[in-house]
Amino acid sequence: MAPPAQAHRSPSPSQPSGKGEVSDLKSQLRQLAGSRAPGIDDSKRELFKKVISYMTIGIDVSAVFGEMVMCSATSDIVLKKMCYLYVGNYAKVNPDLALLTINFLQRDCKDEDPMIRGLALRSLCSLRVANLVEYLVGPLGLGLKDNNSYVRTVAVIGVLKLYHISAPTCIDADFPPTLKHLMLNDPDPQVVANCLSALQEIWSLEASTSEEASREREALISKPVIYYLLNRIKEFSEWAQCLVLELVAKYVPLDSNEIFDIMNLLEDRLQHANGAVVLSTIKVFLHLTLSMTDVHQQVYERIKAPLLTLVSSGSPEQSYAVLSHLHILVMRAPFIFASDYKHFYCQYNEPSYVKKLKLEMLTAVANESNTYEIVTELCEYAANVDIPIARESIRAVGKIALQQYDVNAIVDRLLQFLEMEKDYVTAEALVLVKDLLRKYPQWSHDCIAVVGSISSQNVQEPKAKAALIWMLGEYSQDMQDAPYILESLTENWEEEPSAEVRLHLLTAVMKCFFKRPPETQKVLGAALAAGLADFHQDVHDRALFYYRLLQYNVSVAERVVNPPKQAVSVFADTQSSEIKDRIFDEFNSLSVVYQKPSYMFTDKDYRGPFEFSDELGNLSIAAESADNVVPAQGVEANDKDLLLSTSEKEEIRGATFNVSGYSAPLYDSSAASVQSELAIISSTSAGSAPSSSLAIDDLLGLGLSAAPAPEPASVPPSLKLNSKAILDPGTFQQKWRQLPISLSQEFSLSPEGVAALTTPQALLWHMQGHSIHCIASGGHSPNFKFFFFAQKAEESSNFLVECIINTSSAKAQVKIKADDQSTSQAFSDVFQSALSKFSV
Amino acid sequence: MLQCIFLLADNGAVILEKQLTGHRVDRSICDWFWDHVISQGDSFKSMPVIASPTHYIFQIVRAGITFLACTQVEMPPLMGIEFLCRVADILSDYLGELNEDLIKDNFVIVYELLDEMIDNGFPLTTEPNILREMIAPPNIVSKMLSVVTGNSSNVSDILPGATASCVPWRPTDVKYANNEVYVDLVEEMDAIINRDGVLVKCEIYGEVQVNCLLSGLPDLTLSFANPSILHDVRFHPCVRFRPWESHQILSFVPPDGQFKLMSYRVKKLKSTPIYVKPQLTSDAGTCRISVMVGIRNDPGKTIDSIILQFQLPPCILSADLTSNHGTVNVLSNKICTWSIGRIPKDKAPSLSGTMVLETGLETLRVFPTFQVEFRIMGVALSGLQIDKLDLQNVPNRLYKGFRAVTRAGEYEVRS
Repeated sequence: MAPPAQAHRSPSPSQPSGKGEVSDLKSQLRQLAGSRAPGIDDSKRELFKKVISYMTIGIDVSAVFGEMVMCSATSDIVLKKMCYLYVGNYAKVNPDLALLTINFLQRDCKDEDPMIRGLALRSLCSLRVANLVEYLVGPLGLGLKDNNSYVRTVAVIGVLKLYHISAPTCIDADFPPTLKHLMLNDPDPQVVANCLSALQEIWSLEASTSEEASREREALISKPVIYYLLNRIKEFSEWAQCLVLELVAKYVPLDSNEIFDIMNLLEDRLQHANGAVVLSTIKVFLHLTLSMTDVHQQVYERIKAPLLTLVSSGSPEQSYAVLSHLHILVMRAPFIFASDYKHFYCQYNEPSYVKKLKLEMLTAVANESNTYEIVTELCEYAANVDIPIARESIRAVGKIALQQYDVNAIVDRLLQFLEMEKDYVTAEALVLVKDLLRKYPQWSHDCIAVVGSISSQNVQEPKAKAALIWMLGEYSQDMQDAPYILESLTENWEEEPSAEVRLHLLTAVMKCFFKRPPETQKVLGAALAAGLADFHQDVHDRALFYYRLLQYNVSVAERVVNPPKQAVSVFADTQSSEIKDRIFDEFNSLSVVYQKPSYMFTDKDYRGPFEFSDELGNLSIAAESADNVVPAQGVEANDKDLLLSTSEKEEIRGATFNVSGYSAPLYDSSAASVQSELAIISSTSAGSAPSSSLAIDDLLGLGLSAAPAPEPASVPPSLKLNSKAILDPGTFQQKWRQLPISLSQEFSLSPEGVAALTTPQALLWHMQGHSIHCIASGGHSPNFKFFFFAQKAEESSNFLVECIINTSSAKAQVKIKADDQSTSQAFSDVFQSALSKFSV
Repeated sequence: MLQCIFLLADNGAVILEKQLTGHRVDRSICDWFWDHVISQGDSFKSMPVIASPTHYIFQIVRAGITFLACTQVEMPPLMGIEFLCRVADILSDYLGELNEDLIKDNFVIVYELLDEMIDNGFPLTTEPNILREMIAPPNIVSKMLSVVTGNSSNVSDILPGATASCVPWRPTDVKYANNEVYVDLVEEMDAIINRDGVLVKCEIYGEVQVNCLLSGLPDLTLSFANPSILHDVRFHPCVRFRPWESHQILSFVPPDGQFKLMSYRVKKLKSTPIYVKPQLTSDAGTCRISVMVGIRNDPGKTIDSIILQFQLPPCILSADLTSNHGTVNVLSNKICTWSIGRIPKDKAPSLSGTMVLETGLETLRVFPTFQVEFRIMGVALSGLQIDKLDLQNVPNRLYKGFRAVTRAGEYEVRS
């Protein structure tokens, strides 16, 4: 029992102040214990009630343990129940006293009344005292054979409890086979369900040590068991149905007939009153049809209505859980839900977390036919009292605009927002108009007219201000007073708190200067001077860079700072589809609610079988540091930051270095997401790498892949590799399994290489420079393991490499698999030469 | 699977804890949770599923009591939430209502119930009929009985028959002197009317509630005159699926007493029974408001309990509102309630007044949403009609009753 910390929080008159009352109780109980007077049960009952309520409030009443046990000799079932409750609560902390209770519990296990037998058995198993397990085996064995189903139900769960207290005792007593027999033969469905849940737990925990257990676990998802359970499904309670359905979702049918049989059998479960059953059924349907594209579509159509009903019928908590699942389906197949967009309209009373989900879904389902209605609706939210939602809905309008081809009406709406005179509305709208202009430069005239009329004094948020300044710079030729606005902004340089805004201001002044030199010259000087004096490193450096560039040659500067641009076609900040797929695989689980696959948030002790379970997975788990949760979350955060920062930075990069105009972000973004995925993999495998340094590593890595890739001069002309090769982990794994080993060699490492290899990351960046990319890595000095891949430059022919490096012997064992076997020797040479060049 | 259940009072104090597995969950998780709730501002605003540093928490709030469950393993989220909802339903059913004192007075019953509802973290039975047979509710009748018979146990001595019967939701031998069955159609209308007065969305969520007081093992069939209007349906486990699929007939062996037979949704309704026309015009720091309410489509029965509620935007300093019918109340948190009751025959109720805006604000930019409540007895607005209710083996005396009611659900009018 927890210390009575909360006790003082809820003072109630009946509550005792402390020890005095407990000792009072003790003496009263002692008096009653021996008495056989009529009506004694009632007074006992009052006392027991008092003890229980003290216990519940959090007062330690373990002192009366002995007296409670003495009083427990009674035939009154309520007294017994209270006594069991008390004993169950304190036995674990008082193992010695618990011994006292064994006797009467064992006696009760043989009572005539099945209810008492069951309750006693449940309490006996709930004592959870390790040195009492010997007393459990007998009653449990009898309980499993009891002719009353209630007792059997309790006994089955009791076996599971016994397993958790002492696994060997449970296995030695041969309980699992007994449970299996019961599961397949017992007439009572609840007994069957409990057997199933107990066996699942026992066998999956045993599977790691015992071959037989893992075979048994496999056997649970075999055809006979699944069919047996499915045939009885209507007998089960709703919760047991969920359990069975979870199991069925893991079953892989042999052919399509089987799939249709199962779906026909389960179709009416979609109409069940319990939402958990409906969702489990949907999971089964989705998983069964994953490989049959057209049926999969039909399944979506079929489950749509039940899901939407679930959303509108239950409590807000239930609808939230359902909506999270609906969200993932909508994201996967927006067109199927396009006609039901009205279900995603926000109601005034809904909590904002529900509204947020709905806004995302509205964005996703918008298409040519419904955009007008959706945008009209979203615009109404912009005048909402709930400011975060108002902001979100404006962003949603923007996103819809960016994904539609016909943006006519939407642009008008956005411009209306700008005129709404609400600071947050204006701010959000400005950011959107900026993005819109980058994608649809043809709208510049309409937008500029409105943007020009906005007073920069009214815009305070850094993002919005930066957007406004960017537009001033970009369209300074169309805006009459652009130089003068920039001038006034430059004058207030000192008051501007955000470095981002100051950076944008520098660039905007430069752009303006190239377009309208006479008017801007003075401002440019002032801005550069202010920039050079700025205490912020980036601002200072950029000012210096511009200054030198202008000094060197103005026309070169113009080519660098303000080159002709192409419209952006895809923005970078979308969640990777690989992660979405992973979440989808975990349908009807917490992953969906968090919108993250479980490997990103669950503790590995509790993690279910994970897809990377063969070589890659083993590797990563082997290398994992003790606590995986925190690094994983850290990486998540980094990942997000990274994506965000790339999407913001792409513009800066485009403006300053501008390697390939505005099409650069397109490539950058894909590289960035691949990069960050790699980062996830490599960091979950090398959990020891501190997450803070990781972010920096990644940024460096980005620089590497974004900058014109250091052309692998070392690569012999016979084999050119694609420096931008992309391969997702799933495909890698699949290929690794399918392909034969074409070469297996041992290289030796240079001493410098050995010295440099302190963490796996070091080698990764090096190999990347040679167009050989890492997909997973792990290990600690002296043993490291890497999986690399590379692609031929001209064709999509892949090379897969497993490389085990031992730094103490300076040897690298390399296994190469290739799509094209004939080139594997050539690749091996490339790989060796790259590896040999590795040094500090 | 769930590892423990906590019940928290509205000040965050733990009323009751129930550990379910060997992994004891420390009470400190509740402190963490409560801090989290406070940081969110309001327990209704915090998500039903929260990740704490050590556990995943499911939470629902009913009548000020927070039901909290913890787990460390991956599990279907809806299972956790649904289960907590059932616990809340059953407790309020047993105790008459939910509040802290009632729970404290009946700790033992609550523990007994939880014991039967969940074992080792896995939900067992949540069927109220079965539970009621195992654990007698603490009502006056049972207290009276215990006085009269001297049998003070609040647990029946025999095990519930249903655990062994083939119809798990029904006790085996039910006897009534008068056999009665009541069928209620209870509908809720959800509607959104936008700024331009256009009906954006109008839907009905309905339930068929049955109160069955029949002896023996009755087998009922219920059919509708127009089942085709139902868009999606969900059934109590007692309903047989095949007859519905082939002929849209509900065939079932009912549980004893009150239960929800089915729920349904009717989409795309074209009109609403009443209209609400808000008008807000603002000028020079004041805003004039006028709201008209009237009957649009007469449903044939009286519309009563009409209430209009709206939240004044935060930028409004004061409001002076009057109505020609009903009463208007403005609470300190700027929630304004206009109780109309019934619409009189001779005039259309209207509310009007002026509101003063924050200094420096010329015009109102944030507009309130009006939430409307009403009730119509005797009509199911979806148009659903019960055709007939038949019984196999009709007992001697049988009374069948039908009722219908429509209420406003999420009915909102934007301005």
